Amino acid sequence: MNNKFDALKDDDSGDHDQDQGSPKDSEKEKTEDEDKDQNSSKRKMVVPGAGEHPLQYNYTFWYSRRTPGRPASTQSYEQNIKPIGGFASVEQFWRFYSHMIRPGDMTGHSDFHLFKEGIKPMWEDDANKMGGKWIIRLRKGLASRCWENLILAMLGEQFMVGEEICGAVVSVRFQEDIISIWNKTASDQATTARIRDTLRRVLNLPPNTIMEYKTHTDSIKYSMGRLPWTGEP
Amino acid sequence: MSTEFLKTTAKAIPSTRRVTINDAAHMPQDYSTTPGGTLFSTTPGGTRIIYDRKFLLGCRSSPVAKTPPRGLPNIPGVTSPPSNEPGKKAPNGELLNNKTTAPESSSTGDDSQFEMDI
Repeated sequence: MNNKFDALKDDDSGDHDQDQGSPKDSEKEKTEDEDKDQNSSKRKMVVPGAGEHPLQYNYTFWYSRRTPGRPASTQSYEQNIKPIGGFASVEQFWRFYSHMIRPGDMTGHSDFHLFKEGIKPMWEDDANKMGGKWIIRLRKGLASRCWENLILAMLGEQFMVGEEICGAVVSVRFQEDIISIWNKTASDQATTARIRDTLRRVLNLPPNTIMEYKTHTDSIKYSMGRLPWTGEP
Repeated sequence: MSTEFLKTTAKAIPSTRRVTINDAAHMPQDYSTTPGGTLFSTTPGGTRIIYDRKFLLGCRSSPVAKTPPRGLPNIPGVTSPPSNEPGKKAPNGELLNNKTTAPESSSTGDDSQFEMDI
């Protein structure tokens, strides 16, 4: 297997290189936004089929990929992130999941995002802007199993933090893979501690695994001043 | 370092307690079940639909879970086998998940691979 994207130098930490964009770019995004919103209102019709097992929330799968050969600053994160589809039941989840590649087999600079319906996998979304995420860096070879355990725990409401969970991301990078789970309120330490403990349990992580909590406001702050190819501070 | 200063204003998160029931007489007065069979009493946050990993994995083999979803965008190497490796499915139609090695199809590097019809 010849992975031409291995040549990419930008093994950043699973953060999205969201460029703030020129005003012109933002306008362009806005019209696309409206298109997407119309799409997502269609997707809100997703309901469990007869005899299926409903989930506590509806979710949407997203996929994003950094276009090789172009610096991140010339492309918009939002333009690169594409909805794959939404589901409302356990069975509908498996339909999507079974027809998608496992993250460990993805190439290049790619991410899967699984977020509650109506929440965009972006720091700026209303549900995310006061929030943050737990980040776990994984050596190559672990991403598929960890991602599956992570999203099964999320869909099955194993975190027991009420409405706090927003979604989960798996990021395939050059030398490592990163999984993260996003929640609404970064300042709520009871919640973030509980998410951390649940992660340890459901991912079956070795005790010395480093878990890092990062607020989205910090992510935005650092990304603005950083050159896109330098990776994470 | 006295604990009397450790006041918290955070609301307690409802916790889960697992108990093994061997006899129907031991069942609590009020309880609910999720469709997957998890029993739980009402939590302050209201009733939630909880599934454990084992149950979710069990649903994977149901026939409906194997049908491709409607409107699945075609992303070579992600939602479909790479175009230069057709038919990389298991004989039972068990899809590409877990099997595809997904080398990128062609001269990637442009945005066309993101095209999807949604």
